[in-house]
Amino acid sequence: MSTESTDSASESREAPEAATRPPAPGSWRERLRGRSELGVSVLLLLVGVLVLSDTFTMETVADQRGPVGPRTVPIVVGVSLLVVAVVLAVDVLRGGRGESDQGEKAGSEPADWRTVALLAGIFLAAAVLIEPLGFPVTGALLFWGSAYALGSRNFSRDPLIAAVLSMATFAAFNTLLGVPLPGGPLMGVL
Amino acid sequence: MRQRTLLSLLGATLLVLIGPPLITTGSGAETGTNIPGLQFMVPNTPGGGYDITARTAAKDAEDAGLNHNVEVFNLPGAGGTVGLTRLVNERGNGKLAMSMGLGVVGAVRTNDSPSTLADATPIARTVEEPNIVVVSKDSKYKTFEQLLADWKKKPGSLPVGGGSSAGGPDHLAPMLMARDAGIEPKSVNYVPFDGGGELLASVLGGKVAFGISGISEYRDQIESGELRLLAVTGKERIDGFDAPTLKEAGMDVEFTNWRGIMAPPGLPEAQRAKLIHFFDELHRSPQWRKSLKRNGWDDAYLTGEKYRRFLEAQDKRVQSVLKEVGK
Amino acid sequence: MESLSSLLDGFGTALTPLNLLWAAVGVLLGTAIGVLPGIGPAMAVALLLPVTYGLDPIGAFIMFAGIYYGGMFGGSTTSILLNTPGESAAVVTAIEGNPMAKSGRGSQALAAAAIGHFAGGMIGTILLVALAPTVASLAVDIGAPDYFAIMVLAFIAVTSVLGSSRVRGFAALLIGLTIGLVGLDQMTGQQRLTFGSLQLSDGIDVVIVAVGLFAIGEALWVAAQAHRTAGESIPVGQPWLGGSDLRRTWKPWLRGPAIGFPFGAIPAGGAEIPTFLSYVTEKRLSRHKNEFGKGAIEGVAGPESAASASAAGTLVSLLTLGLPTTAVAAVMLAAFQQYGIQPGPLLFEREPDLVWGLIASLFVGMVLLLVLNLPMAPVWAKLLRVPRPYLYAGILFFAAVGAYAVGGEAIDMVILLIIGVLGLMMRRFGLPVLPAIIGVILGPNAEQQLRRALQISDGSVTGLVNTPFAVTVYVVIAVLLAWPWLRRLAGGRGRSPEGRGGPGGDGGDGGPGGGDSTGGDGGDDGVQDKEDAKV
Repeated sequence: MSTESTDSASESREAPEAATRPPAPGSWRERLRGRSELGVSVLLLLVGVLVLSDTFTMETVADQRGPVGPRTVPIVVGVSLLVVAVVLAVDVLRGGRGESDQGEKAGSEPADWRTVALLAGIFLAAAVLIEPLGFPVTGALLFWGSAYALGSRNFSRDPLIAAVLSMATFAAFNTLLGVPLPGGPLMGVL
Repeated sequence: MRQRTLLSLLGATLLVLIGPPLITTGSGAETGTNIPGLQFMVPNTPGGGYDITARTAAKDAEDAGLNHNVEVFNLPGAGGTVGLTRLVNERGNGKLAMSMGLGVVGAVRTNDSPSTLADATPIARTVEEPNIVVVSKDSKYKTFEQLLADWKKKPGSLPVGGGSSAGGPDHLAPMLMARDAGIEPKSVNYVPFDGGGELLASVLGGKVAFGISGISEYRDQIESGELRLLAVTGKERIDGFDAPTLKEAGMDVEFTNWRGIMAPPGLPEAQRAKLIHFFDELHRSPQWRKSLKRNGWDDAYLTGEKYRRFLEAQDKRVQSVLKEVGK
Repeated sequence: MESLSSLLDGFGTALTPLNLLWAAVGVLLGTAIGVLPGIGPAMAVALLLPVTYGLDPIGAFIMFAGIYYGGMFGGSTTSILLNTPGESAAVVTAIEGNPMAKSGRGSQALAAAAIGHFAGGMIGTILLVALAPTVASLAVDIGAPDYFAIMVLAFIAVTSVLGSSRVRGFAALLIGLTIGLVGLDQMTGQQRLTFGSLQLSDGIDVVIVAVGLFAIGEALWVAAQAHRTAGESIPVGQPWLGGSDLRRTWKPWLRGPAIGFPFGAIPAGGAEIPTFLSYVTEKRLSRHKNEFGKGAIEGVAGPESAASASAAGTLVSLLTLGLPTTAVAAVMLAAFQQYGIQPGPLLFEREPDLVWGLIASLFVGMVLLLVLNLPMAPVWAKLLRVPRPYLYAGILFFAAVGAYAVGGEAIDMVILLIIGVLGLMMRRFGLPVLPAIIGVILGPNAEQQLRRALQISDGSVTGLVNTPFAVTVYVVIAVLLAWPWLRRLAGGRGRSPEGRGGPGGDGGDGGPGGGDSTGGDGGDDGVQDKEDAKV
């Protein structure tokens, strides 16, 4: 996980430049991007080590029958992760590239990591605030914040849309479905 | 423009702050049995056993006029211990009750849960249900004695299917039977299934030598002759079925699955008494009587101190079984 | 023919105005809930259970069936339009449906899904009427070794959706398998990868994984490219299916039930596996293999039909045996018990009105769904005209609601976000998302069946191959794997370029990977050759 975050941090630093200037093939940036895929390899390696270490620290129990116990599958998965990590690293070093969602070469397009970080932060904040502030407030903030992060700047319309959507969802869950969501600080006061 | 923004912000804020209390139905005043804002927590998924008991109790209480509005919510996870942990953290909250049962007693032990049932306040045991020993209609075992004789000879090659994981009711019953029959607990070949429904296919198809489950799930299949009922684990025979209890079959084992209600720890005496009074009244209501009959539950009402001692005894029994199988 | 007259009586029950109303309410609610990410049909039925307390049993079950079928349908709408499946059974639909929507063929994809859903449901329900007792008794004969054999076959099938770079496909599959490991071991109850957290001990719900990888991952991915695509709006395109579309879709519509229906009747984990197998089959049989991954309409039609037919198959086991094969069925079983009705062998005799009314209402519900949704397809497609910030803010909002409402635990939102970031990373580095989801679904299932089979056989490995069914499946697998060599022996030559996968990233393709991949593609080549010969 840690390699992932440092990796994306380095991406965000170069993002503004990348946005203004398309990367020339074969430039230093191109090579760096090629190397950034090695991060995936390192991540797979770490996950493999994690799975294996978790498996070997597992307590053993007696009532296993046959050759397959609670450790067998994790060991297979863990070892495969290590193998794939190595194979992927070799592939990347040889110049292999993953094909991203839209059929473009992975990492060849400039990316806006600031927006992503903003969205993730808003989502995380919503998870933290939902208990103290209640669902309607948090939901509205989540919607408005996300729309803002994604480029919407209509300050007289956006908050209302967010509030109505959040409130309607709360009402639907609370009254229609009978799923109690936290109501907020004024519950029980009014 | 700025003014419109301000207005919009103001409107939105008012809506999300004042809206929730306005649309939530009032829970009435605190009177005889009414506990405003009472919540039932269900520690497993919707549709499961604890869920049905809790929702039935909530609805019957409302219908019987005991309470205006009881909210039921699910907090599933780890055999009920996620819910139990939350309950224990809600110290002193007299408006929360958790639906639970024997399965939670086992899950606390198998999951090494940080919170145990001794940390919570026992309110009442509500219903119980005997387990049954069933085989498919094509099985070579016609009586429990035949099955037992074979089981003693080669326990490993007679897989026992149950609808709960280790420590759950369907696991405890065969283990107690094996202990009484002198079968080494570790040699019992227990195959866990994800609930009685998934187990059913394996019993019907003869994939397991015999199955252990609750009677209510299999009543119909037994009546239609698809399954053969060999024995009942409870104290008495089940009406309408010609199968012996384990005692009649010569075993010193009596086992029933049960469900009950727990409350958070640290309740003032008045609040504890009020919750017990609530369930007393529910137990007495005709609505609850009807629900018992409809669901095929046996009444097993037990409250307060007696229920606490019962819980302790159950916990010891569960631990002794789990120790034998090495958990 | 007795069942036919009973069915007619059933229509008498289902077509009363009140029951028609419940059916309509059911399919509408189901569709609405299915559209929201994170709330699948099981959750919908469970949540609406208390709402129906006031209804009579027949009305309640007609409504439930409507919710079930409607929920299965609704899941595919957002899957196609926004690449955000509302529930896990609709994941496969996104693979071809979303590229179609992106290239302006969203309405066609929606129409193919709606008709596929209708066809699958109709055929499935007819099979339910005709074959219920037979299928049910066959389903009971299938045991753990047989399930494991099917899982092995499904794993072989995964190799054909690994994408252009096999090593990245395998990496994605392994990520999925790792997520699937989290939780208590099903057989012994030991903690695996839970790090002592009780919250993780039931594993990570596949719905959370699907919504996280697809919906959150997609929203973040769009955000990462926001400045580049901000002004563009997605073309909505022509609303109706053309003749060439119909020629390509009618066979997949009819083939879907052949895969979906039997899978629904057995406890093999719901509609995910049959939809996936249907997709792989369509990919293999299609004449337009090169379009797969870029918006092949067969890849929408087949899986949707299979998903719908599997719902009918589920009802077979539920109604005739009282055997719930999916989460929805388990909730419906509980609902039956709430009304003091025990589904099982005697249900057809004891409650003929209810059962036949319910079955007839399935036909009615199916027609309602088609009538409601086919004209709606172009309207839904206009959803794409909603400004992007609102669209994706809405997806994040509803995904959060779905994750939070299930357990009322904020930690579930955090898990969802982490998986969403994983989904973003996978998109960024070209790891395909589908194998990861398949890994989450297949991994735990396959392990459980393998170990259950070994447990039942008391540890003997022969317990895996001691049924005719399992042996048959392994023979099929062996033939599939050996196909390329068999063909070479027969003097065949000339691998088609499509069969080999894309040019990129094959450098590191190791021995075992290569072996698997030829297995997965063997069938393709056979069909492809025939096509070539014709041309």
